[in-house]
Amino acid sequence: MANQNYDVLIVGSGHSGGMAAGVLTQKGLRCLMLNAGPVVDFERDRKFKAAHELPYRGFGNPNAHLDHVYQANEFNANTWVSEKEAPYSYPPGAPYNWVRVRLVGGRSLFWARQSFRLSDYEFKAADHDGAGDNWPISHDDLAPYYSRVERQFRVTGRKEGLPQFPDGDFVSVADGSESECQKRITAEARKMEIPVSRMRAALGEGGLASSVNLSIPGALATGKLDVVQNAVVREITVDKDTGRASGVIFLDRHTRREMRARARVVVLAAGTLESTRLLLNSNIANSSGLVGRYLIDQQYGCTVIAAMPEARDGKANPALIGGGLFIPRFRNLDTKSKRNFRGGYAIPMSTGSTPDAKYFPEYGAALQKKLDSYAGACVQGGIYGEVLPRYENHVRINKEQKDAWGIPTLHIEARYGENERNLCRDAADTMEELYKAAGLEILVKSDKVNPPGYSIHELGTCRMGDDPKKSVLNKFNQSHDIKNLFVVDGSAFVTGGWQNPTMTILALSMRASEYLADELKKGNL
Amino acid sequence: MQRRRFMQAVTTASTAATAAAQQTPPAGEPIKIGTVSADAAAEPVSRFFTSRQLAVLRHLSRLILPASNGRPGAAEAGAAEFLDFLISVSPAPRQQLYRGGLDFVDAEAERLFAKPFPEIDEQQADKILRPLLTPWTFDPPANPRQRFLAELRADLRTATMNSKEMARATANSPRRRRGPGGAAPYWLPIDPTR
Ligand SMILES: Cc1cc2nc3c(=O)[nH]c(=O)nc-3n(C[C@H](O)[C@H](O)[C@H](O)COP(=O)(O)OP(=O)(O)OC[C@H]3O[C@@H](n4cnc5c(N)ncnc54)[C@H](O)[C@@H]3O)c2cc1C
Repeated sequence: MANQNYDVLIVGSGHSGGMAAGVLTQKGLRCLMLNAGPVVDFERDRKFKAAHELPYRGFGNPNAHLDHVYQANEFNANTWVSEKEAPYSYPPGAPYNWVRVRLVGGRSLFWARQSFRLSDYEFKAADHDGAGDNWPISHDDLAPYYSRVERQFRVTGRKEGLPQFPDGDFVSVADGSESECQKRITAEARKMEIPVSRMRAALGEGGLASSVNLSIPGALATGKLDVVQNAVVREITVDKDTGRASGVIFLDRHTRREMRARARVVVLAAGTLESTRLLLNSNIANSSGLVGRYLIDQQYGCTVIAAMPEARDGKANPALIGGGLFIPRFRNLDTKSKRNFRGGYAIPMSTGSTPDAKYFPEYGAALQKKLDSYAGACVQGGIYGEVLPRYENHVRINKEQKDAWGIPTLHIEARYGENERNLCRDAADTMEELYKAAGLEILVKSDKVNPPGYSIHELGTCRMGDDPKKSVLNKFNQSHDIKNLFVVDGSAFVTGGWQNPTMTILALSMRASEYLADELKKGNL
Repeated sequence: MQRRRFMQAVTTASTAATAAAQQTPPAGEPIKIGTVSADAAAEPVSRFFTSRQLAVLRHLSRLILPASNGRPGAAEAGAAEFLDFLISVSPAPRQQLYRGGLDFVDAEAERLFAKPFPEIDEQQADKILRPLLTPWTFDPPANPRQRFLAELRADLRTATMNSKEMARATANSPRRRRGPGGAAPYWLPIDPTR
C-alpha cells in the first residue's frame, strides 16, 4: 500500500523544486517529489564523441522536433523536450521558443550559471518608472535568502556598490589582469557614464551547480524525501468539501498508468509555464483571472561586433585583447539616463573572438582571408533586455491539442512591443558609439532579437501581490485562493528586469519553503 | 482444459525452453567486438539530387570552401555527398530551396556562358554567385536564391568542419578538442519512451 503520509508534494525537481525539497526536509517534513522525466546518469548517458561519429555529422536529425530550441545541436538533442511528444501552439507569425528539460534536475543540469540579484529598480518598478507593477517585497526582504543561495551555489563576482546591480555574498573575486582592449572599452564607457563590471556566475561543485548535486542529495540524506521519476503530473486534486489541495494525479511516462498521490501541502515547481499549465488544466487558484497572464521573459540578441585594428592579421595576443566585460543596467536610473523606453538592459561582452563566417559576404579563398585577418581580433556584445509585463501576453489551454499523455497543451501568445524595440535600438546605438570611441572598427550591427522565449527565462504567469484581485500568489508564493498550494518557480515574478532569474527563483523558493514549514507547524495550513 | 489455460501452459513451457537455451556469458573481461563506421568501409550512394544537381553541388563546394592551410576543403570532406543525404531527410521547404538553388545557378551558367555550371571557371562562377551574396542580417534573405547561397555556405562549412577528414588534419592541433572536428560530450537517448 502506498505511503500516504507525506507532508508536502513537490512537482518538479529543477532549481526551484530542489531548493524546496532541501529546505522542507531539513525542517523535518516528509516530502514526495514527482518529476516528469528520468534520472540522468552522467557516466552512462554521456559519451565523448567527435562530430563525424554522429549520425548527422553534427547537423542533428532534421526531424528531431526541436524546431524552437535554437540551443539544440546533435550532441545535446536527446536532453530537450520533444515538440512532438509535448507540443504547444502560438498564433501564426508570433512564434514562442519554449525550451524545456524534463530530466530530474530540469534545466539546472544545463544552465549557464550566470547569477544576479534583482534590485529595487525591478522590485519597485511602478514607483520608479512604471516599467511594470511593484512586487509585494523589496530587495531587503530577499537579501538574506540571496546571501544563503549565493553561498550554497558558490557565486563569484566583483563587488561594485551599484544600487541597480546589488552585490552578493560572493565566494571569490572574479578579477585578474585586463587586456588593452578591455581597458580601452572600460575607459570610454566611464566617459559615457556607463559602469563596467565582470560576469557573476555560480561555481557550484565540480563544475556543476544543479539541484541534482547541490540540493536533492542533501534532502535524500535526511531520509525524508521520496523521488518518483517518470511521473507526468496531469492535475492537482482538490477536496470538494474543504476546497483544499489534496494531491495530484499523474501518469507513468512509459505505460501511461494513472496514479494518485496525496499530501497535506502541494508545491508546484514545474517551471513557470508547466506550473501555470497545471493550474489552468486543474481549473483552480484563479479567482483573479490572472493565471497565465503577464508572461514576461528577456530579449536576447541585438548583436554588435567590432574589430580592434591593432589585433588583426595575426597580431592578437592576450596582453592586447581577450577577456569578458559586463555592463549592468545603466539606462533609466535617473532623469539623465532616461530614454524613450522603460526598464533597462545589460550588455555581456567578449573580447578576442573570431567572427562567424556568416558575417562576411564572401566565399572561397577571399572568405578565408577575411577570417584569418579577423581571427581573435573581435569584440562581440549583445543584450539581456528587459521585457515589460503586459496583460495581453499570456498562455491559455489549447483544448484542441493534447500531448503524448493526453493532457491539453498550452497556447502561448507573447509579442514584444514598441518599448522593447526602442530599447534594442538604444542598445545597438550605444554599443556602436562605445566601440567607435574605443577605436574599434564596426563589422556587424543589428538591433534585432530572437523570438520571445529564446532567453529561457519565462516568468510572471502567476504573479505575486498583496491584492488577491490583482495577483495569483501572496508574497510567500502561496495561492491566495488555496492556502495549502504554493508555486515556487519563476511564475511568481512581477517584473523580470534584465537579470537572469535563477538566483531570484532560488531565493524565493527558499523563503517560501521556510514560511510553509512554519505555517504547517503553527497549524495554519 | 479450457483454451485459455491450455495457451498459458504452452506459453509457460516455451518460455522455460527459451530460458534453458540461453547462454551465460563467461566471467572475467567483458566481450568487446570492435567495429568501424560505415563511412570508413563504404561510400555513400547519392539518392536525392539528380546527377546533374550533384555535379553542380560538387562544383559549388570546391568554389565556396576550397582546401587551405593544410586543412581539407568541402570536396575533400565529401560535403556534397553528405548534403545529398541530409537534404533527402530534411523538410520539404529545405529540399525545395536546395533543388531550386542548384537548378538556378546551372541555368544561369547556360544563359551567360552556354555551359553547364560544373564546366564554368572561377571567374565565370563569380558572375553568378557574387550577386547572390548578401551581408548578414538577423533575418535570412527573403530572396530564395540568396537564401540558398547563405544556407549552402553555412552547411558546407559545418559538413567540412565536422568531417572525419578535418578531425584527422587537426588531430595534433592544441585547439582540437574544442575546435573543428573535435570531440564533445554526446548525450545518448535517456530512458526513451517506446
Ligand atoms: C541552456 C540554458 C542556459 C541557462 N542559463 C541561465 C543562466 O545563466 N542564468 C540563469 O539565471 N538562468 C539560466 N537558465 C534558466 C534556468 O535554467 C531556469 O531559470 C531554472 O533552471 C528554472 O528552474 P525551475 O525549477 O523553475 O524549472 P525547470 O528547471 O524547468 O524544472 C522543472 C521541472 O519540472 C518537471 N515538470 C514539468 N512539468 C511536469 C509535470 N507535469 N509533471 C511532473 N514534473 C514536471 C520537469 O521535469 C523539470 O525537471 C538557463 C537555462 C538553460 C536551458
